[in-house]
Amino acid sequence: MAKKLEIKNNIRTLRFFAGEMTQQQLAEKAGASRQTIMAIEAGKYSPSLDLAFRIAVAFGVKIDDVFEYEVIE
Amino acid sequence: MSYKEKQTIVSILSGLMLLVIYSFYALSKVQSGVAAPDDMKFWATAILTFIVIGIVAMIIIQIIFHILLSISIAVKGEVQKEIHKKILKHETQNDPCNEQSIEKTIALEMVEDEMDKLIELKAMRVGFVIAGTGFVLSLISLVLDYSPAVMLNIAFFSFGIGSMIEGIIKLFYYKRGIQNG
Repeated sequence: MAKKLEIKNNIRTLRFFAGEMTQQQLAEKAGASRQTIMAIEAGKYSPSLDLAFRIAVAFGVKIDDVFEYEVIE
Repeated sequence: MSYKEKQTIVSILSGLMLLVIYSFYALSKVQSGVAAPDDMKFWATAILTFIVIGIVAMIIIQIIFHILLSISIAVKGEVQKEIHKKILKHETQNDPCNEQSIEKTIALEMVEDEMDKLIELKAMRVGFVIAGTGFVLSLISLVLDYSPAVMLNIAFFSFGIGSMIEGIIKLFYYKRGIQNG
């Protein structure tokens, strides 16, 4: 059976380094709602690959810099 | 609380109100002897009328909700402007109270993205299961020799309750979060 993955993100840190970018600004850049950005940041929602890439593009970084995973035993 | 959550609460409450009003109407008609359990035409007319009333009421309530939301955004903007003026001693660059700012804020709140669609789908599935179960129960009531009016009412209530539970599930997912897969 496939092992479970826990997806973590660095959105809060990346927002800080992007001049304290607001969730609303990130939402506008990534084409999502603020609610969705809030949920992703809090780990309550795993975005689709498409939205994950759009978030990375909004920060101008690679997708690995935004999202990382941990294998749960 | 987001725009979507508020809108869902408004929908649940208006649905509940409609079902309560229908219940009182149906009970009063049965008690006064106007509606016989076998009078299918009466029940069909009553249910159809309430469906139409429900749709019209939902549209009107959503319009009023939209207007109230615009007012609340404008008031919040005005308060924000006053704070900037009095405490920070400077004017904000963009006026949050003008029509364009309000429209922009509402448009941003109303954006429907993949998470909304996923929540909608999951909630709708639960709603359909409840409505479907109600329909089966309504058929069983006919098999058990209950009057057709009972069958119609069970079907009507199961659709109404299914729609309300769909809203509650949506609220639950908005609060708890949702995972793909």
